[in-house]
Amino acid sequence: MSELVSAPGITVSFPDCQVGAQLPALDLPLDRTTIVATAIASQDFEDVHHDPGKAQERGTPDIFMSINSTNGFIDRYVTDWSGPAARITRVGLRLGVPNFPGDTMRLTGEVTGVDGDAVTLRVLGSNDRGVHVTAEVTLVPTGGNAR
Amino acid sequence: MTAGSSTEAQAGLAEQLTGFVGMEAEPPRVARYAVNEAMVRNWVEAHDDRNPVYVDQARARETGRQGIVCPPAMISTWVMAGYRRWREVHRLRSEGIVEDFAYSRLLNLLDQAGYTSVVATNVEQEYHRELHPGDHVTAHFTIESISPVKRTALGEGCFLTLHKKYVDQAGDLLVEERFRLLRFKPKAAEPAAGEDKA
Repeated sequence: MSELVSAPGITVSFPDCQVGAQLPALDLPLDRTTIVATAIASQDFEDVHHDPGKAQERGTPDIFMSINSTNGFIDRYVTDWSGPAARITRVGLRLGVPNFPGDTMRLTGEVTGVDGDAVTLRVLGSNDRGVHVTAEVTLVPTGGNAR
Repeated sequence: MTAGSSTEAQAGLAEQLTGFVGMEAEPPRVARYAVNEAMVRNWVEAHDDRNPVYVDQARARETGRQGIVCPPAMISTWVMAGYRRWREVHRLRSEGIVEDFAYSRLLNLLDQAGYTSVVATNVEQEYHRELHPGDHVTAHFTIESISPVKRTALGEGCFLTLHKKYVDQAGDLLVEERFRLLRFKPKAAEPAAGEDKA
């Protein structure tokens, strides 16, 4: 089988995936700018994602990461591992504790299913206060140099 | 109006909420812009996502694609209403003005009951194909379910589930989504409700 064209040091071939295989962990330090920049990149102007005073009025101690930004970081984490010759076909995510400025989110993942070409992963994103996100992601190879 | 905590008020609200289930939330949302490289680059830079298939035609073709693609999680971005419309929606909400579609009526009802804060809790997306620059997205939103009022860690509120169907310029299905959010009364809020809002 040929190797995937991928970022340096990250080459994964789908057929080698086995249930239980672990993805390398990724620590993402999140500052205020990250939370605001990702929210605005998704055209999300909800004040809880950029205005600390409004966030407090609405019952949280600070601004927090939007669900779409979390989803974007999961895309990044999963395809950093798989390489670019993969297509995400499904994601399901559930949020737990918020990501606030100053948090570091540690992403971890595990292969939980292999069905033909399709690989399913369970991804967790955690910070010091607990689990921020629990996600299930399915991806398939796109072909090209992947096969 | 103060948030009714009596059982009759709760029952009345529950009945009104149930009436929204199954309704089209709002008119179809047509993307303001076709999928484009500029907005994709803004997104991938913000997430520091180095996957080349979002920015590099040649690298994208090496993976069997016809060219660069859009990050999957960006799907909802294409049908966001934009800053000016966001401002307008919040002005109307703060003035208690209801627009002529179900979701506006539903949010007004929840605002009146004191459930003014929002937090997203779940999203499920099934991607039927990847998006390329030039694709033009339209989204159809349906109010799929509304929970009874519950006590949560954030405060009292109810969960709404929206079903979102995203189609392309030919009407073909791109993404099917379920989005769950909590509308709640913040615990820190003063007992005299009706404060709120920017």
